[in-house]
Amino acid sequence: MKSTTSRRDFLSAGLALPVLNAGSRMALWQSPQNPVSSAPSSPAKLSYRTLGHTGLKVTTVGFGCMITSDSSVVQRAVDLGITYFDTARGYQHGNNERMVGTALGSKRKQVVLSTKTEARDKAGQLKELDTSLSELNTDYVDIWYIHGKSSPAEIHDDMIEALQLAKQQGKARFVGISTHSGQPQLLPWMAQKGVFDVVLTAFNFSMDPGVQQAIDTVAKAGMGVVAMKVMAGGSRNQKLAQSGAMLAALKWVIQHPNVATTIPSMTDMDQLEQNLKAMEGAFSEGDQKLLAAHLERIQPFYCRMCGKCEGACAEGLPVADVLRCLTYADGYGQFALGRERFLELTSEQVAVRCGDCAECTVKCPYGVQVSSRMARAQELFA
Amino acid sequence: MRASHLVLLPILLAAGMACAQDYLSCQLVPGWAQSGPKRQYTADNLYDYKDGAAEGYLSYGFTRMQGVDCKLGGITLTIDVSEMADADSAYGMFAANRDPRLPIARIGMGGQIQPQSAQFAKGKYYVEIVAIDPNPNGDRTAELRAFVTGMQQRLEGRDTAPEELDWFPKDDLASTRLVPESVLGLKQLKRGYVATYKQGQAFIAVEASPESASEVLKQLRQRFDGASSVAVGDEAFQAKAPYLDGICIFRKGRYLGGYANLPSPQEAASRAAKLAASIP
Repeated sequence: MKSTTSRRDFLSAGLALPVLNAGSRMALWQSPQNPVSSAPSSPAKLSYRTLGHTGLKVTTVGFGCMITSDSSVVQRAVDLGITYFDTARGYQHGNNERMVGTALGSKRKQVVLSTKTEARDKAGQLKELDTSLSELNTDYVDIWYIHGKSSPAEIHDDMIEALQLAKQQGKARFVGISTHSGQPQLLPWMAQKGVFDVVLTAFNFSMDPGVQQAIDTVAKAGMGVVAMKVMAGGSRNQKLAQSGAMLAALKWVIQHPNVATTIPSMTDMDQLEQNLKAMEGAFSEGDQKLLAAHLERIQPFYCRMCGKCEGACAEGLPVADVLRCLTYADGYGQFALGRERFLELTSEQVAVRCGDCAECTVKCPYGVQVSSRMARAQELFA
Repeated sequence: MRASHLVLLPILLAAGMACAQDYLSCQLVPGWAQSGPKRQYTADNLYDYKDGAAEGYLSYGFTRMQGVDCKLGGITLTIDVSEMADADSAYGMFAANRDPRLPIARIGMGGQIQPQSAQFAKGKYYVEIVAIDPNPNGDRTAELRAFVTGMQQRLEGRDTAPEELDWFPKDDLASTRLVPESVLGLKQLKRGYVATYKQGQAFIAVEASPESASEVLKQLRQRFDGASSVAVGDEAFQAKAPYLDGICIFRKGRYLGGYANLPSPQEAASRAAKLAASIP
């Protein structure tokens, strides 16, 4: 797919606030094609969108139940008006589905409920769906996803047959795929295939602009888009630390008009109430500043594993691999593991000293300071 | 040191290191052969393997995972060993993922073997084995048990469950688990053990000091309208709360404990008193 937005445009418009200008893409984001509406009767100010051609009305903030341990948080979310709840067969070996089923109880039909299957073939998928329905205490799910695929090659015809059969049998109203990576290839394929209703995709402010373009493609084809990993997550160097940054990250995703809903993880009442605030106001200049500051902080260090540096080092160093070693040590506090991985490089690679090069031949498109980071890795591990 | 000792030392060291990794060998059970290379994941790429479920591992202090596939005939066993932050976290991971409707077997700190899967925790290790069987209803209990037995003998570390679990009253106890954050959905209760009963739930959380525990109790009390003091432990309150019904939370030393989801605050306080008495 031809890129129409450069990474530089994306970053400068969305996040690098000091160079933000009036003609940026932000203006488009703040004038959504599918404007958010409010529900005046609800105690919390909620906003809704339509989930593609499914016609399902969903709150722009949904609920990712994955790590929720107490049903009271789900129950309160239902009472506060959240309408989208997501779980998966594989979460806590099925215990999460059971918790969600118990929490929703008689209110199950008031909400849009999705689950996922990781089974590798049609028979396994359909068996898992029956188990999911039993654990969720319902006779249908609103959306049933194939769990965690990154490329069309991973999705076999019999998997799609299972989805269609589930729809015919009334066990799933709509079907889709969930994905954490490979969106620029996978999503256009899904749009072209014409058998999927919804995609659940990782999407946040730190990602490659190609993901946003892929989302726009499937939305144009009528598919519903649900966003996950909306707060970026990651290591201790990458986590959103500043007060208000998580809310800003959620608002950044919501203000994208082609995203119908989001599923941030929530474990307690405070997080729930905090996330609901994302529906109350537009993504603001203050939010931009928070996220820009975060990206500014991690940019020199944060390797997005985009692969653009592959083969670029004149000394033949595998730059991304060395940066990952450094992430083990600096990001996760696991020096031994970082060193262990570093010493798996060839002896020639271990012997390279970046300080000996007059100029670094590797230019990271995201601004990682490759030369100094590599030198640090060599100083730490070699 | 004699020259012969110098020769032997590296051999012994190598043997020791090999032994430490022996738990992840298909040859633990005769007839099985490794299929494909071993795999290894850390906290920053576990998503590549576990997708969204990776967050569950991370919440229990996951540091790394090593895995291997073993094959015999048409059956493949996918074996993954996760190293968690500590033994309590490994047990917490097991308790979160076990089927609470089935009993816990005496495997390491605790385990379960089902027809097509097995899991157990020992020391800081959390082990999962999944059978990939052409027959979706096949019973692979025997094969799983053989690997579990071999692995638990080779894995180092504690083989007793966290002592806090013994403090919960046993009558009508359905299951116990370690909640890694927000016990009872309350942010102030950062991490703790939760026991689920036929009716109601109990919890035990530990703070760094009696003073910090007292501060948390104060913050919790402010959350509940109409909370009233009650004589349980060193200090306590009871309340009737939305979503948690009758609740009583107490402090004893640096421990916080209590009951929730009971018909009345008085009943919660009565049961909380018994729990407080069992905390040393």
